[in-house]
Amino acid sequence: MKINLKTPVVESREQRLGTIIAWDGKASDLSKESAYARGNCENTCGDKARRLCEMEGPFTQGSVCSEQMVECQAGHVRNAVLIQHSPIGCGAGQVIYNSIYRNGLALRNLPVENQHVICTNLLEEDMVYGGAAKLEQSIRDAWERNHPKVIFIATSCATGIIGDDVDGIASQMEGELKIPVIPLHCEGFKSKHWSTGFDATQHGIVRQIVRKRPKKQEDLVNVINLWGSDIFTPMLAELDLRVNYVIDLATVEELEQLSEAAATVGFCYTLSSYMAAALEQEFGVPEIKAPQPYGFAGTDAWLRELARVTNREEKAEAYIAREHARIAPRLAELRELLKGKKGYVATGSAYAHGLIAVLRELGVEVDGSLVFHHDPVYDSQDPRQDSLVHLVDNYGDVPFFSVSNRQQHQFYGLLKRVNPDFILIRHNGLAPLASRMGIPAAPLGDEHHSLGYQGIINLGESILDILAHKKFHQDLAAHTKLPYKQWWLDQKDPFVLAKESKPGNKEEHSYV
Amino acid sequence: MSNLEVSHKTNSIQQIRYVCAIAAMHSASAIPGVIPIVHCGPGCADKQFMNLAFYNGFQGGGYGGGAVVPSTNSRELDVVFGGENRLRELIKASIKILDADLFVVLTGCISDLVGDDVGSIVREFQDQGISIVYAETGGFKGNNFTGHELVTRAIIDQYVGDYDGPKEQGSVNVWSLLPYHNTFWRGDLTEIKRILEGIGLNVNILFGQESKGVAEWKDIPKAQFNLVLSPWLGLQTAKHLEDKYEQPFLHVPIIPIGGKETSAFLRKVAHFAELDIAKAEAFIRQEEKQYYHYLEGFSDFYAEYWWGLPAKFAVIGDSGYNLALTKFLVNQLGIIPGKQIITENPPEEYREAIRKQYQTIAEDVFTDVEFEEDSYAIHQKIRQTNFGHKPPILFGTTWERDLAKELKGAIVEVGFPASYEVVLSRSYVGYRGALTLLEKIYTTTVGASA
Repeated sequence: MKINLKTPVVESREQRLGTIIAWDGKASDLSKESAYARGNCENTCGDKARRLCEMEGPFTQGSVCSEQMVECQAGHVRNAVLIQHSPIGCGAGQVIYNSIYRNGLALRNLPVENQHVICTNLLEEDMVYGGAAKLEQSIRDAWERNHPKVIFIATSCATGIIGDDVDGIASQMEGELKIPVIPLHCEGFKSKHWSTGFDATQHGIVRQIVRKRPKKQEDLVNVINLWGSDIFTPMLAELDLRVNYVIDLATVEELEQLSEAAATVGFCYTLSSYMAAALEQEFGVPEIKAPQPYGFAGTDAWLRELARVTNREEKAEAYIAREHARIAPRLAELRELLKGKKGYVATGSAYAHGLIAVLRELGVEVDGSLVFHHDPVYDSQDPRQDSLVHLVDNYGDVPFFSVSNRQQHQFYGLLKRVNPDFILIRHNGLAPLASRMGIPAAPLGDEHHSLGYQGIINLGESILDILAHKKFHQDLAAHTKLPYKQWWLDQKDPFVLAKESKPGNKEEHSYV
Repeated sequence: MSNLEVSHKTNSIQQIRYVCAIAAMHSASAIPGVIPIVHCGPGCADKQFMNLAFYNGFQGGGYGGGAVVPSTNSRELDVVFGGENRLRELIKASIKILDADLFVVLTGCISDLVGDDVGSIVREFQDQGISIVYAETGGFKGNNFTGHELVTRAIIDQYVGDYDGPKEQGSVNVWSLLPYHNTFWRGDLTEIKRILEGIGLNVNILFGQESKGVAEWKDIPKAQFNLVLSPWLGLQTAKHLEDKYEQPFLHVPIIPIGGKETSAFLRKVAHFAELDIAKAEAFIRQEEKQYYHYLEGFSDFYAEYWWGLPAKFAVIGDSGYNLALTKFLVNQLGIIPGKQIITENPPEEYREAIRKQYQTIAEDVFTDVEFEEDSYAIHQKIRQTNFGHKPPILFGTTWERDLAKELKGAIVEVGFPASYEVVLSRSYVGYRGALTLLEKIYTTTVGASA
């Protein structure tokens, strides 16, 4: 499966990987049905996407779109400007992503500033006559105001439908301004899952920013991450390696040298899959093919593989031994303190696999978890990256494992099935419901919080903190009403609507 | 090569200060018991909620709102073949599992561009007695102020309906701050209702937890009059109600802050509504007694504080708060206006009247106002303003945090987006809100002094 960098439009997750957004069962069954284990693709999907059975129900709640992921990646490159070619509503995202950008910069000890994002503010007449002139004007404004090293353009549902020639304008302006002007095709309706937006950004960066004739830097490691605290620098320094953090908070220069690194790693294969595979395919930068660095098993294997690829094996073994010994005393205490506690993970896909592993290292029971989507394979197709199988093989099955794309109405039943003491989340939308059910949530804003050896300790400490919040949530639960009808809250199967609406199984309900 | 100088106003908006019409899903969920259903792309509800209601005072979604309102999450199929069946299916399912007094369907760009006949789908449900209305709020059709009036009108025309019964003397419908966009709308509407009830009115506040929900909306036609308490938002609604129910309206462009302005406002309303003036005056006396008691205590600080207080200010925000704050700062505190910039793009027809308000802000103070939406231009204007011998205090948004530092001045985040404020019931208007505002302003300046 080759990544196609020839066209400016990225192939969506579902086209490349067979991504699904609704599924319910045992984690072990999902891993068996996924491509790594099975490999026998249905004839409808060629040599690309794998086919998994997916449920589709009539009731859906607001999700997230690809353009938002472009905003929070391309919009966070420090000396670039992102242009949102859209009506003003898409520009709403400037608020949240500015706040995240500022706090991310502060967390990383970088100078705090507002992000550089401009909306072309398309109006009704532009829907009729096209928005090309406005896009061109905004590109000029971006140049005049910020003199950026790169200008990114995010498309929108509206421009996708009216068919503005964004690629043509980008290439014309690139010629004029002599900097990369990069169209990122991320119309919300084009993919059922927003993680395609990660891929759209990475596609544009690999095509138009990354240095085509790299001078190799044998001690440089690309770390594909978000805004997390700087835990990789000290960790990789143990192996005499330097860190190149991308994409958020990076400079254009840091993106240019992606092709020069000795290896690429990430904190989550959902995020890093596309670019890591593309860098290996195009420039021979090896992607570390190992379990993700969560829990002892994952972190040990990940460090060993990184050390092997960068020829630093002895240093890694010494570090691994030291870290095991260092965290052992507090880990023993945490395991004692967390004995009998039940946790539930509700995050992005590969990240959840890692977090469940850490919870089980801490002795926390995990009977259920949900992921927003599931990729049957990642772009490398290498089974050493099968994060779900790694979880099931090393830490046991998860009996109630669901794929639910932030569908809060299902979350109620999912939590009732397993009655956790707390949940781990990153994305908004689910915790408010848990809160009203009396269940506290640990929002993992710093995505590196649970990573590596220290991450096991960090997560344990955070869980103790949020278990104390239970008082707040239980008090609230006693005084609020949920917007769902009792009939729905009494349903045992959170996927019942999807099952009823299968073709040929449609049952009309009276709703008056 | 073309000239790259950009000195004229362009279409570009950097650092947005309003969002699009579908954000009026918040005007729906601001009514207790009402749940919006959005027919749009997968990211629209999340975008509007997270930015308008989360990273703007961290207000939260409440009962029927949030990022997870029912949404068709339109896909390519819905673009190619239309999304009408998908919408019908979602409405059916929403009725089945959600407990709402009224559903409000709002459309996004996709539906409005492909031309889904949303009206006829919603009518199918209305015909069966379901409480449901719709508004076409595609993002390119206008901003969230426009959307708010579209949703309001949809509920009035499609749900409240015709009425030719008697009017109730002494009852009023209030059309004022834009819910959620104004960071302090909940506390402010509570205070507005409190003081109007104080002078003897029955108040349909319509939005926020003080509203009685759809039952209160059903009472709209019975009210004696409509009160539009904002520079322009709500005027369209009031004019529509005048035509529809023969209800007169009183337009007060200045949302009152502080004793002087609030008392004047209440007297104006009492006079218009022909209330018992003695009763109204008794309430005003009581409120002023409390207000000036606290102001007297504050005066020790205001007169004697050693380390300097700001003398000039700028306000950057939508016209409602902009005008209200300017009036208060000039007349109550005697601070000098430096620059006022209105950011919500008010319709052209209202701008002259708004400008006049600034020109007569006090008997002896004349100031002007500018209309600008793009923060790059706004910040340039502030930088070019002469604030005199010491740094100004900026009443603005999160976008001005760095600008305030650059000017070595203070910043009070008073409007969208206020990403570094946590706001629950706080109010800055009326008698009580003014005191809170004073606390906020001077805690900000004193707190940063050493």
